[in-house]
Amino acid sequence: MSNLWFLYLFFSALLIFTGIYCLLTMRNLIKLFIAVEVISKGVSLVIIATGAVKNSILLAQSMAITYIVVEVSLVATALALIINIYKKNKSLDVRSLSKLKG
Amino acid sequence: MVIQILLLSGLVLFSILAILLKDLLKAALSLAVASLFLGIIFFRLGAPYAGVFEISVVAGLITVLFALTVALTRKDSEVQEARLTKLVFPLFFVIFLIIDGLVMKGLLQQVPALPAGPETGTFGEVLWKARTFDLVAQLGVILAGVLAVLALFRKKEEDKDE
Amino acid sequence: MVFSFIFLPLVIAACLPLIGKISKKVIPDVLTNATLGFLLINSILLIKPIFSRGSLLQNINWFGENVNLQIALDGFNLFMLFTISLVSLCITLFSIDYLKHYGHQANFYALLLVMVAGMNGLVLVPDLFSVYLFLEVAAVASYALVAFGLGPEELEASFKYLMLSVVASAFVLLSITVIFGLTGSLSFQAVARGLQDLNAGPVLGVCLAFFIMGFGLKAALVPFHAWLPDAHPSAPAPISAMLSGLLIKVSGVYALFRIVYSVVGMTPALSRVLMAMGAISIVVAALLALGHNDIKRMLAYSSISQVGYIILGLAIGTPLGIAGGLFHLFNHAVAKGLLFLNSGSIQHITGTRNLNELGGLGKKVPITAGTNLVGALSIAGVPPLAGFWSKLIIIIALVQANHFGYALVAILASILTLWYYLLIQRKAFFGPLNDRWQQIKEAPFWMNAANIILALLCLLVGIFFSPIFKTWIAPAADALARGVQQVLMWGI
Repeated sequence: MSNLWFLYLFFSALLIFTGIYCLLTMRNLIKLFIAVEVISKGVSLVIIATGAVKNSILLAQSMAITYIVVEVSLVATALALIINIYKKNKSLDVRSLSKLKG
Repeated sequence: MVIQILLLSGLVLFSILAILLKDLLKAALSLAVASLFLGIIFFRLGAPYAGVFEISVVAGLITVLFALTVALTRKDSEVQEARLTKLVFPLFFVIFLIIDGLVMKGLLQQVPALPAGPETGTFGEVLWKARTFDLVAQLGVILAGVLAVLALFRKKEEDKDE
Repeated sequence: MVFSFIFLPLVIAACLPLIGKISKKVIPDVLTNATLGFLLINSILLIKPIFSRGSLLQNINWFGENVNLQIALDGFNLFMLFTISLVSLCITLFSIDYLKHYGHQANFYALLLVMVAGMNGLVLVPDLFSVYLFLEVAAVASYALVAFGLGPEELEASFKYLMLSVVASAFVLLSITVIFGLTGSLSFQAVARGLQDLNAGPVLGVCLAFFIMGFGLKAALVPFHAWLPDAHPSAPAPISAMLSGLLIKVSGVYALFRIVYSVVGMTPALSRVLMAMGAISIVVAALLALGHNDIKRMLAYSSISQVGYIILGLAIGTPLGIAGGLFHLFNHAVAKGLLFLNSGSIQHITGTRNLNELGGLGKKVPITAGTNLVGALSIAGVPPLAGFWSKLIIIIALVQANHFGYALVAILASILTLWYYLLIQRKAFFGPLNDRWQQIKEAPFWMNAANIILALLCLLVGIFFSPIFKTWIAPAADALARGVQQVLMWGI
């Protein structure tokens, strides 16, 4: 069974890598947020796959649903931020936001 | 097994499309398709409720929110991405694919795990009785999200005062 | 009674937007402060039963149904709960006058209370997945609060913070899921028992690396610190105090060390890694702080550096080191809360935070200047203030454990800290008075009151350090030093 677990972990690692790559290199704010969504798909895949492989699918299912609710809340907050930024800057480019330098 | 791998590949493929497509609306739609694949995978793994949630909430609601944001920010919001980013991506992706495969294969040989007994009860019982605290925390997250949106879309009071 | 720490702020927060329609100002102020005051008293009342019994595991029944609302309380949690309640009460007292700049008190307080509820929940739950969820509760509220001013800088800082924070919590959740896969359960006790039977080696190592990355991002340890110097200064002053004083410590330091000590078990290798990261944070952030003119930005870098001290102390692994780390956590929460609130006072008084424009304020605003001096000297580690003792204990613990190199780093960095805090003092409060500031008046009553309470705490904890340390910090540190045994003992 644990063979299968690693198959799913393999695919979700791909998703998470894709998301992080996009997060590091892209410039469009909405694109950045799509990257976050891709990462969270990877995470929820891991949750369900773990539950399925380890015979605790019910627990994993309730975790995944909770995670999806958290995701919605995050998406709402982030998109509200993006719309506000767009109103201020008239642009979705990260480079237009260089007033702060870490 | 083969079907499952095909579905997983579809999931990854559409996620990559969501990232690479220039048009934001198309990107949001391919994200929704990826969610659809994920939902089907959930269903086939024996998690029908999570599958339904994934399809209705993530593929449905979140896509609507994305489309709304794209529509609201459409006007002269063209963002020029660096061309190098997209050209280099396949290279990095293949490198990571190989590393990923090797690491997972390496871990495969040596992973001890406790044997887990089969679960008892129904999904509802697990959610409401075993994970009650999660429901409280969910309420907290939803409340935080609602308040956050309220705070971010409020009218500015200072403008009136001064 | 313990459940009120989570439920009360949530319920009040849910009511506040409605109440805000009826009364814009007075009722939200009173209600929020009353709630936090009640929680503070509640946490003080819990001290005796917890210290006499060691730990407490509570379950509630809901209308006769056996639901699983379980919380666990021991010395370490209680210490954190007390710190959260104390500092957040002072912050809301300060906000009474400060929020005139922003308006919308009800909404602000509601978000603040959700954040407090999230932190309290994170501290109380004995379950890995619930830890993640409450982490998100506090985080979502904090994104909105960082952006509360709605200026371009606030929004940008908040977005950057959100992106990094989401990645951090994704890694935390991944690691939790893999541990769930290894042991088949999520509660601290069952996972700790499972991991003891299991020789999980490399997979567990990957999990720990993810935990360190995720919580390290939340705590702003140095390779992962980029968001903090933007997010903390951009937020309104009370929120900066909340984030720097509490949130990074609860969602970063507390969660990491609770899991490392009580669930996974500390190993020498892990201790070395964490100590190295702590030491790097101390030095790098202290050097970065020097080049800035914005008060709040300097304070933010100083937070990273001081969190480095906390982690260095906690990671030593000896009871004395843990006690030093926890003591420093408390002292830093109080002093950094004070300094950020104080920077709010300065901004309220003068309208700027740029050190080059300030100067000579000390004669005009003695209360603000005096409390600022106390806070700065406490963090810099000047005797007899509280910060001196905690740094001293960390350094003694380092020497006892034969880490002379780290002890030297800690001493030298504390001199550096003193230097840049004196720089703030000299530029803002001493020297000739700039003509622009002839007309300024002292900050309003509640702002000063909050500053004075926190400054007195720095002073009193420093003076009565020995009894406080013995009766209060040492039991909390013991709870952590017992390691996995502590969790396995819960409820017995």
